[in-house]
Amino acid sequence: MTILLFASAREAVGHPRLGWAVPPDGTPADRLVRELAERFPKVRPILRRCRFVRNGTILDDLHTPIRPGDEFAVHPPYGGG
Amino acid sequence: MPVRLTTRRLSMAEAMRVLARPGLGGIALFAGCVRPDPGPGGRVVALDYEAHGPLAVGALRALEREAVRRFGPGRFVLWHRLGRLPVGEVSVIVGAACGHRAEAFSAARFLIERLKVTVPIWKTERARPGRRPRRSRARRAGRSAG
Repeated sequence: MTILLFASAREAVGHPRLGWAVPPDGTPADRLVRELAERFPKVRPILRRCRFVRNGTILDDLHTPIRPGDEFAVHPPYGGG
Repeated sequence: MPVRLTTRRLSMAEAMRVLARPGLGGIALFAGCVRPDPGPGGRVVALDYEAHGPLAVGALRALEREAVRRFGPGRFVLWHRLGRLPVGEVSVIVGAACGHRAEAFSAARFLIERLKVTVPIWKTERARPGRRPRRSRARRAGRSAG
């Protein structure tokens, strides 16, 4: 699966997009977020304020499994205008 | 086009042309511009705007539908600029054309306030680091000023 990172999350990680391995039956979104924070400690404080999006839908339930082939986006607080 | 994400310059005159129709007696247009605010990294000289493209367009369209539901049949524009914008550039235009001014003002206010919190667009400040004040010629020459 692919992780998309925007704005402050992208700057903390250093990449706009990451390939990420998950098991065939998926990984819960909150676990994926923890793994991301472990691999990129600078993004940890930002992740606490983020929304997460799976295949174009904002996740209300962070136990939702993220499966191979999914697109998982990390949205820091919005700042348009 | 009522919804637009673009790297091209935004035009109030064009928004006016899109909105104006006979019977729509009140038109409210709002433009947001890049300010030279002081920040931790120095004075802002530009803002970099980015969006999660498909989601941002979907969110802008949802806002337009919500405006029609709340304020009745009118015309609305929600345009946002992307890329690096120097101070003074227009970053966003929202506009509402309604039967009367009250709905137009309310709709434009609704659109910009909701855009800021529901549309996946981000800005990153680009700053010029502050400079130390230049010493006067008198001080450089070893004389005190005044």
